[in-house]
Amino acid sequence: MERTTIKRWFLHKENGMKGLKEKSIKTILFLSAISAVIVIFSIIVFLLKDGYSIFGTAGIWEFLSGTRWNPTGEPPVYGAFSLIVGTLLVTIGAMVIAIPLSLGGAIFISEIATPRMRAIIKPAIELLAGIPSVVYGFFGLIVLTTWLRISFNQPSGESWLAGSILLGIMAIPTITSVAEDALSSVPREYKEGSLALGATRWQTIRSVIVPSALSGITAAVILGIGRAIGETMAVMMVCGNPTYGLIPMPITNIFAPLKTLTATLGIEMGEVATGSNHYHALFGLALLLLVITLVVNIIATLILGRLREKHQSSLKKRVRLPHEISKKIKQSFYLFMGIIIIWILIISTGVIPAVGIVALAVAVYYLMKKISAKTMQYIAFSMITLAILLVIIILCIILSYIIVNGAGAIITPGFLTEGISNLGRSGGIFPAIIGTLYLVIGAIAIALPLGVGAAIYLNEYTREGKITKIIRTGADLLNGTPSIVFGLFGFAFFVLYLKMGFSLLAGQITLAFMILPTIIRTTEEALKSVPQSLREGSLALGATKWQTIRKVVLPPAAPGVLTGAILGIGRAAGETAPIMFTAVVFSSFIPQSVFEPVNALPYHLFILATSIPGSKQNQAGTALVLLLLVIGIYLIAILLRNRYRKTMKW
Amino acid sequence: MSKIRRGVKQRTSRTLITGILVIFVFSIILLSGCLQRQEGLPIVVIGRDSASGTREFFWQHVMGKENFTDNLREKNSNGGIYITVTQTPGAIGYVGLSFVDTGVKVLKINNITANATNILSGEYPIARYLYFFTKGNATGATKEFIDYIQSTEGQAVVQEEGFVPLPTSNPYNATGKHLSGTLTVSGSTTVFPIAEKAKDGFMKMYPELTITVSSTGSGAGITAVGQGTVEIGMSSRDLKSSESNLDLVKYTIASDGIAIIVNTQNTYVESLTLAQLKSIYKGEITNWNELQ
Repeated sequence: MERTTIKRWFLHKENGMKGLKEKSIKTILFLSAISAVIVIFSIIVFLLKDGYSIFGTAGIWEFLSGTRWNPTGEPPVYGAFSLIVGTLLVTIGAMVIAIPLSLGGAIFISEIATPRMRAIIKPAIELLAGIPSVVYGFFGLIVLTTWLRISFNQPSGESWLAGSILLGIMAIPTITSVAEDALSSVPREYKEGSLALGATRWQTIRSVIVPSALSGITAAVILGIGRAIGETMAVMMVCGNPTYGLIPMPITNIFAPLKTLTATLGIEMGEVATGSNHYHALFGLALLLLVITLVVNIIATLILGRLREKHQSSLKKRVRLPHEISKKIKQSFYLFMGIIIIWILIISTGVIPAVGIVALAVAVYYLMKKISAKTMQYIAFSMITLAILLVIIILCIILSYIIVNGAGAIITPGFLTEGISNLGRSGGIFPAIIGTLYLVIGAIAIALPLGVGAAIYLNEYTREGKITKIIRTGADLLNGTPSIVFGLFGFAFFVLYLKMGFSLLAGQITLAFMILPTIIRTTEEALKSVPQSLREGSLALGATKWQTIRKVVLPPAAPGVLTGAILGIGRAAGETAPIMFTAVVFSSFIPQSVFEPVNALPYHLFILATSIPGSKQNQAGTALVLLLLVIGIYLIAILLRNRYRKTMKW
Repeated sequence: MSKIRRGVKQRTSRTLITGILVIFVFSIILLSGCLQRQEGLPIVVIGRDSASGTREFFWQHVMGKENFTDNLREKNSNGGIYITVTQTPGAIGYVGLSFVDTGVKVLKINNITANATNILSGEYPIARYLYFFTKGNATGATKEFIDYIQSTEGQAVVQEEGFVPLPTSNPYNATGKHLSGTLTVSGSTTVFPIAEKAKDGFMKMYPELTITVSSTGSGAGITAVGQGTVEIGMSSRDLKSSESNLDLVKYTIASDGIAIIVNTQNTYVESLTLAQLKSIYKGEITNWNELQ
């Protein structure tokens, strides 16, 4: 009798200890899970804290609708409208370039390419997503703007067109890979059914596959738009930045210089007097930028969410308008779009060419109707192949320019091991390489535990519900936050509020926040791929929840987690905007503690390309080192993931 | 069978050719608007960003606080302006005198060449001072470093780097002094080369002292010294009213002329009057041939 009581007591005690351990682990995981929410919340709070006063000083309506941005004038004028228009125009131009090319690319990869081609092209496109924006900017500044100026006989090549081309190229990998996922997830039966009915492959693609994947494609485009709106470095380097902001006259003048929200922040933040109205106005702009990108990303998330629902339950039927009415709506919509296009044509080219173009378009339209299905397929496939070829050619030009010009610097003895001399014109880039390594190591050391903890909590400890929804939304929003906004937040919070100054630590934490959502997402994917039966087996053997996670779930998920970490490292290594106002200085010293500033490769390249005349060779050399570093990191991640996908069989 | 295939092929090639032709005509019409021949050489006006000390000075002393043209393209460093001017035939820009070399053409202002003699004599109209700021009066190593830069040795560095030295200076005396520890300097991109170079000579005299210099921009430098994160803030402009509460002490270390530069291919002008310069930056003169 007594013995059993004691035994029970011990058991109870043991259970209690275990329970306590389990509970505290759960609490820790919960805390790391809500970190994403806390971060996005504090970003908003700090932007509001430093930015709201400008809405009082300038008036919220004047701030949003004023077309003149002149914060240092007398009297100062804070009108962000032309900056908003600039951001929108560059983004629209980028989409005009990126959407056809990336849709062509996506259709090519998922429907036309042979398996072997797909195995090469798909990872290649994913690799391109890793090219740092400052490298694109460097190419744009040196090659693209000069080419535009000479071939179009313009006074200057720094223009809307240059920005749109560059942003378009940058958005292609994002849009292509998301759209390709959507196309590949269309059920096989749809395609087989259509082909069995006698439709050609192109007819199947056009009328069955693309419409079924439409919401996924829309989400891809919106994600691309989000990326383009938030892009800083490339836009800042090639758009010309007219000082007060400029709405092109006429609006179709693609050679007009433009100033975007992000470029204004990037240019003016470095030298602004802290606490002045100008400073608050810049935070107001950042707030505006954050709101725009958040709205765009929320729309994308909603569409993707609906897509998932649709896949799960196809029973719900959409309410449809009667055929007649929807046809009428369609017709009037086309008419309206047609009138707008003709109006734009008349404004930009004059009446006679516009009429010519319209006549040609009508002729082409009727010609198209006469073409047989097979010829149509031939034409469509050649256009698609042309699109993917064009993407590959553009990227080859960029890469080969950097490699050809950078190789000379890299093979110079001492370039990789010596300090900077003569303001970076000669000497090496060793301090920048070390600085980048320090930043990246610190960022991953902070982000990895938080991200993995958050993913474990989301995937293992809770059911889908309100809390997970809030956390997921937080991570999604954080993922869509423009990198320059992280930079401003880091400046306001770490550098000023916590008085860290320009320091390694401030940069590391800012970068960690930026890569946190990537790590959460990839870790969650890895955890999800571990079968439920393994967990049940472990729990049935008497293991506690944490023991199960640590010994059973995490080991097979480790390669996936590692992939996420490597992707995070790649992103952190290439970003400039978040560290520009928090950690980096252009100088040749190597920090001895985390409270000292550093130099970093992307920032070094930015300064060389924009501020140091006569540093051509070292610019290209730095770009090449950065490119090799980031692409190398991404390559490891992709190879690891592919290997892991192959070897994991349950 | 083969007949049909041939027919399909012919039709395909015909449509393809038509398609390519259509695209070709389309793009030519679209681009023809851009290819109109331009008379003379349109002026591309380049300036610094609105937070720059150089721009503040230019705006006060050349523009008379009037607005620039809407087409003023911003660059956020002297080097950026220099690079753009070398790459753009129609460009005009303003940079610190130290940034000028043979890659660009320097315009005379009111027929006066921008050089040290004319700046010191006050004849060249667009020149300014460069400053070090400290939190309260400078003491210890900070004071010694400022003394060194203001001394004959330091002013030699100033001259070497292309700036204009102070009118009077005395030799630096290091005897009997002993300094150690660290000293951090940050701020103006314009002043950066002076501090960077002077620090080498200074640290030779005091091997136990470490000085780090970084270029972050005038505003950031003043912020940093105001917060006490660095000992010296470099600036190419004086304090603004919003910064007057930071309790900073100003030390003048050199003066700097602002050179007006154009592309070497520009054969239209050699000299501008201040009024012409203002008109260009206001956007009233938009083509170089108006100035011949």
